[in-house]
Amino acid sequence: MDYVELLPVFMFLSLAILLFSGYPVAWVLGGLAVVYGGIGIYYDVFKFTEFYNVNLRIWGTAAENPILVAVPMFIFMGTMLERSGVANDLLHCLQVLLRRTPGGLAMSVTIMGTIMAATTGIIGASVVMMTLLALPVMLDRGYDIPLATGTIAASGTLGILIPPSIMLVIMADLLAISVGSLFLAAVLPGVVLSGLYLVYIYIRSKIQPALAPPLPAELGPGTRAALTAMIFKSFVPPIMLIVLVLGSIFAGLATPTEAAGVGALGAILLAIMNRKLTYGVLKDVSTRSALTIGMIFGILIGATAFSYVYRSLGGDDLVEHYVQGLGLGSWGLLVLMMVIVFLLGFFFDWIEITLIVLPLFLPIMKTMDFGAHIPGVDNIIPWIAILLAVNLQTSFLTPPFGFALFYMKGVAPEHVRIQQIYRGIIPFVSLQLIGLLAVISFPTLALWLPELLLGIDTSR
Amino acid sequence: MNRLLATSRACDAFVSAIGRWAAWLLLPLVAVIIVDVITRKFKLLTMAVESFRASGNEAIAGFIESYLTSTKFQDLEWHLHAALFLLCLGFAYARNSHVRIEMARDRFSLETKAWIEFVFCLVFLLPYSALVLYNGIDFAYRAFAINEVSAALTGLSHRWIIKSFVPIGMALLLIGMVSVLLRNALFLFGPPEFRDEVRSRAPELRDAAAELRAAAEKEAAEIAAESDDMGIEMLAADGADSAGARRDRRDEETT
Repeated sequence: MDYVELLPVFMFLSLAILLFSGYPVAWVLGGLAVVYGGIGIYYDVFKFTEFYNVNLRIWGTAAENPILVAVPMFIFMGTMLERSGVANDLLHCLQVLLRRTPGGLAMSVTIMGTIMAATTGIIGASVVMMTLLALPVMLDRGYDIPLATGTIAASGTLGILIPPSIMLVIMADLLAISVGSLFLAAVLPGVVLSGLYLVYIYIRSKIQPALAPPLPAELGPGTRAALTAMIFKSFVPPIMLIVLVLGSIFAGLATPTEAAGVGALGAILLAIMNRKLTYGVLKDVSTRSALTIGMIFGILIGATAFSYVYRSLGGDDLVEHYVQGLGLGSWGLLVLMMVIVFLLGFFFDWIEITLIVLPLFLPIMKTMDFGAHIPGVDNIIPWIAILLAVNLQTSFLTPPFGFALFYMKGVAPEHVRIQQIYRGIIPFVSLQLIGLLAVISFPTLALWLPELLLGIDTSR
Repeated sequence: MNRLLATSRACDAFVSAIGRWAAWLLLPLVAVIIVDVITRKFKLLTMAVESFRASGNEAIAGFIESYLTSTKFQDLEWHLHAALFLLCLGFAYARNSHVRIEMARDRFSLETKAWIEFVFCLVFLLPYSALVLYNGIDFAYRAFAINEVSAALTGLSHRWIIKSFVPIGMALLLIGMVSVLLRNALFLFGPPEFRDEVRSRAPELRDAAAELRAAAEKEAAEIAAESDDMGIEMLAADGADSAGARRDRRDEETT
């Protein structure tokens, strides 16, 4: 076989190896596009003028794209919510409410993870934040270390799955499906997973109370009125905000971008209400959001350049040819895709995986057919997207390399050993697998809500 | 040597100043979205046009009709978004906010890290950003030459202005890269007495895990302190305190 035809393979291998150099992912992607474009020019399979198309592609994907305007808005909303003290108040309120329930502290962490999942959605950041907020409290109470770390890691990664999620916005854009319907599709699987965690924690703490000592009964305000006031103050505002954002998307009243803008304003108002908004906080939130936005869109344009050159060198045909040669059928291919994404999740955050791998999968996904299992061709891609999302969340948690565990070890107190973190995550990974299998076997879990609220039209 | 370090610092300060300024674009972006949603949902602009026209203020009615349309607002939204992220690419690099795969990097020595940064800047980032900059100038110029306007009839005109943010953003990225390149080169090839100072100015050469922990602990402590101010008895505050105590203990051990 001609070596020139294999250029896309070498391009991909170079990427896989060079990413581990620790140089920023965005520039490795963009740089490889130029290097392999250059090699292509040398072998006469690429033209210098094609690099101009890279600019056009970058412009169309990242800049002149009203859908992706939702991303900076959600980032700003998440960063602002983090600084508005909402997360702390919420956790405290949950702790008070659940103080008599077995495993109440762990359950409050899960519930907070589910609610605050609505915010940043960057795995490293959210796991770090949750670990710092919740782990010391749990350890002081004498919680079993594996149970505590497992709960935090699993709850802290729910954010990428439960809408509004930046990952789902980007996935929907790449797959050319509607953001609103993908958000809807993710709601039930997310709630099911969170429910599985809660049930597991409850049963485990009921059987082995020593693992999860209850909080002191006198915790929190003494009177019923004060308690109600606390619930209203800490619980209602963030829930209202999230219901407002998601509700306006789901009711078809607002586009995701508009809802994200409203959410950003809501987060500012919450910070004002909590008397946390100063010029310094506003400046800090804006600057940190801007750095995150620069980072995400840096990778987005790098991946766009990479995919363009990769396609132009014949990468898609090569993969299609190879995949047809495998003769796997739709189910086999689905399993193959899941395995690949699962393995990648050990090393990379969702940003890289989604932006690099999803465009490769899309042509394959379009040829898939699951017969009566998935009624309606338009439903296949949203369903697979949700499977990928659940799968990614699982892979962040899987020892020995789970991405979330890596960050957790980084910020946990030193006496928490990595073996304890590994041991703690096993039950949650099992729950994840149950959730994943459930969405695979019962596609209704993902497809029912979009169908109910938006009609059968899941295509844009 | 001093001059090289000063150049690196100046480049860093320049892209950071622009990035911090650009970060404020988030607020007008929120404002434009809100104004668009409100005026469209409640048909405020149509009502305003009608009432101005009824009271004989044809000029104001005409102004609103031609300048304050939802299409223009929506164009403005992605204009602000595009300007924001393009102006922040170099800022994020100089401040080491771009995602790296830390798994192997954690085990590299400082010299290895600096060598990788130095070589990869020249082999990958330089050609990439220079090429997108070169084509970006052409890209913006073509929009200028044909006086390109929005594809939507009532959208914004002067498309070349926003398109020139592509070359501007790439130029800023190059300036950020010069800063990183110089400080890593100085670390590798400069006199040994410079190393500590260079390192203190190079976030990519600091201990990522320790930084992360320190920043996060600081944040947790801040949040806890703020909650105390609010008079809320916080359980999480204990956590932040003990985290702070742990850090103090570690500091004592090292000194």
